[in-house]
Amino acid sequence: MPGLQVPLEHVLMMAAALFIAGLVGLMVRRNIIFILMSLEVMLNASALAFVAAGAHWGQADGQIIFMLILTVAAAEVSVGLGLVLLLQRRFKTLDMDNANRLRD
Amino acid sequence: MTGSTTAELIPFIVYFGGVILLVLTMLGLSFVLGQRRTNKATNTPYESGVVAVGTSQIRLSVEFYLIAIIFVIFDLETVFIFAWAIAFFELGWQGYFAILVFIAMLGVALVYAWRCGTLEWGVKTRVGLEAKDN
Amino acid sequence: MNLAAMQGLLPLLVLGLGAAVLMLQISIRRQLGWSYAITVATLLLGAAAMEPAMQVAPLQVTPLLRVDNLGLFFGSLFCLSGAVTAVISRDYLRSREGENEEYFLLLLLSTLGAVILAYSTHVAALLLGLELLSVALYALIAYPERGTLPLEAAIKYLVLSGAASATLLFGFALIYAALGSLEYAEIAVQISAGRAATSPALILMGAAMVFAGLGFKLSVVPFHMWTPDVYEGAPAPISGFLAGVSKGAVFIAVLRWFLESGFFQYSSLLAGITLLSIASILVGNLLALLQTNVKRILAYSSIAHLGYLLIVLVAAGVSPEPGLAVEAGGYYVVAYVITTLAAFSLLGLISRQSGDREYDQLSDLAGLFWKQPGLAALFTVALLSLAGIPLTAGFIGKFYLISAGVDAALWGLLAALVIGSAIGIFYYLRIIYTMTTVGEQANPGTTADMLVGSRLVVYLLIFAMLYLGIVPEPLMGYLRTIL
Repeated sequence: MPGLQVPLEHVLMMAAALFIAGLVGLMVRRNIIFILMSLEVMLNASALAFVAAGAHWGQADGQIIFMLILTVAAAEVSVGLGLVLLLQRRFKTLDMDNANRLRD
Repeated sequence: MTGSTTAELIPFIVYFGGVILLVLTMLGLSFVLGQRRTNKATNTPYESGVVAVGTSQIRLSVEFYLIAIIFVIFDLETVFIFAWAIAFFELGWQGYFAILVFIAMLGVALVYAWRCGTLEWGVKTRVGLEAKDN
Repeated sequence: MNLAAMQGLLPLLVLGLGAAVLMLQISIRRQLGWSYAITVATLLLGAAAMEPAMQVAPLQVTPLLRVDNLGLFFGSLFCLSGAVTAVISRDYLRSREGENEEYFLLLLLSTLGAVILAYSTHVAALLLGLELLSVALYALIAYPERGTLPLEAAIKYLVLSGAASATLLFGFALIYAALGSLEYAEIAVQISAGRAATSPALILMGAAMVFAGLGFKLSVVPFHMWTPDVYEGAPAPISGFLAGVSKGAVFIAVLRWFLESGFFQYSSLLAGITLLSIASILVGNLLALLQTNVKRILAYSSIAHLGYLLIVLVAAGVSPEPGLAVEAGGYYVVAYVITTLAAFSLLGLISRQSGDREYDQLSDLAGLFWKQPGLAALFTVALLSLAGIPLTAGFIGKFYLISAGVDAALWGLLAALVIGSAIGIFYYLRIIYTMTTVGEQANPGTTADMLVGSRLVVYLLIFAMLYLGIVPEPLMGYLRTIL
């Protein structure tokens, strides 16, 4: 059976919930590793919404975008983890607040 | 639509409830009926009967990070190759050449990673570094 | 993919091939001189490849990319800006040790991302261009080996820009869910076919999220918090690239998305953009007054300039004939990119031998006029152009914007523009005044040890800013024919 088996709105709401969870995590967490994880959650929420919408319209486009998002997220996180290593080496901390020297 | 969906969900909900019930019963019964001992071995982790050695909090070498990242990147690239392989006949020669270019780029990246010493475990010998300070 | 398509994509192919060659060169033999030469050659070739590509324009290559004059013109502008950044970086990196070859590789990739953005007519192309541009920039910002500020700036930029990308994508997913299309032109067809009427809330929310994500990259208020910090922490040539090329490319992508997918029909979206624009102009200019760090001043000034540029979007949406507004936007982007590059180039050039810290405090510039008159002249022209003083590129750009605004009768925005410009003159002139004072500071380095390339770039930038300000007709006429 083609198309989406569950109502599109349900999946979109699920994706929105994931997105908000990621956003909240991004804002309240101080540890850089958790911030990166929250970022991944946000990106994957968007990816889920794309897959659902693609299935709803019976197109492959949504899944293609999903693949691109996966790749992009991997690139982003590998650079991010590289920066985390440097942060640990130079600041001896993974806490973003302790590494906040740029300000007005 | 929604009515039938709810009807379809009922077996699922029953199953879910059953699982929760089963687990609670198992934990609860063993808690009530089971005997309690405070031997030396009570709180040690059960590792298939073998005594655990060392701590689980080992420090991984930072070199592992590089290998892991290279793995993640190249692992993801296979997704694109799979996508091409699924549509192999539809894409024809054009797709074949496109994927060749893609793989060639991956090859260049692999050569780069190899020559930068990313793939070496242990002593790093970064090629070209000694030639740099001229 | 036929021959015509290959010809149309020639700039992208040149840049991609150049990046592969550079990677091989680094793996065969690490040498900065070669990497630099390959980078500059690739970027110049990429800009020159516009000529053969123009012969086949306009041409749609796959649903993702469109080869048209707009994309080609700005693509070559970004290539040239990348080349300017590379030349300045060579001088900047000379006294900074470390493995600097990858710096040029990342710069090349980042420019490739910017060019893809200029071509994009599809969400996938937008995503790829945007991420190629940003991911390479994360690494570039953190490039200096010493000091902690670049690292901190890179992490801030990575986290916020990642969040912005996710927001943007979520917005596009909502639009996709409502309309079933990822292609701009197809979205426009669906909207005008009335399919949008079934779920207007979904589309508006999607469009707002897309705009929020792109607004982050453009650093318009209220998504501007990262800008001063990142510009201050990043190496000066990269700050220039970030402010000039990255924002210019994203703006061109926004312009394309906005015009081609027909979102300007939503008046609530236009009202939102108007608010963002006014807020950016006022906040950017007012906060710039409080700074003592030149990079931060330029960061706030760039926030204000993007506010000015948003007027173009509103004008294009409101007026029945968006031609003039798009033309004004094109001219303004050219003027802004050149001027911003010039301003940050100066900071990069005077910080050539500054060690860990850059000479980016206002007090570091004291007496620059007497010590390095050539560089001071560059900075003066750039600042005058940013302020919009006659005879510079910035003046014509602003004039163009005002006429587009008058045409669309956007009086509120115009008032903000005039007030913002008036405030702006004050802090730009303050920097110029500081340069003329006789400073106590020992300002290191003279023009004597500057590389020939940097010298050439300095003269070219001065020439470009003055030429565009004094003889604007050729570029105006050109933009009129291509837009």
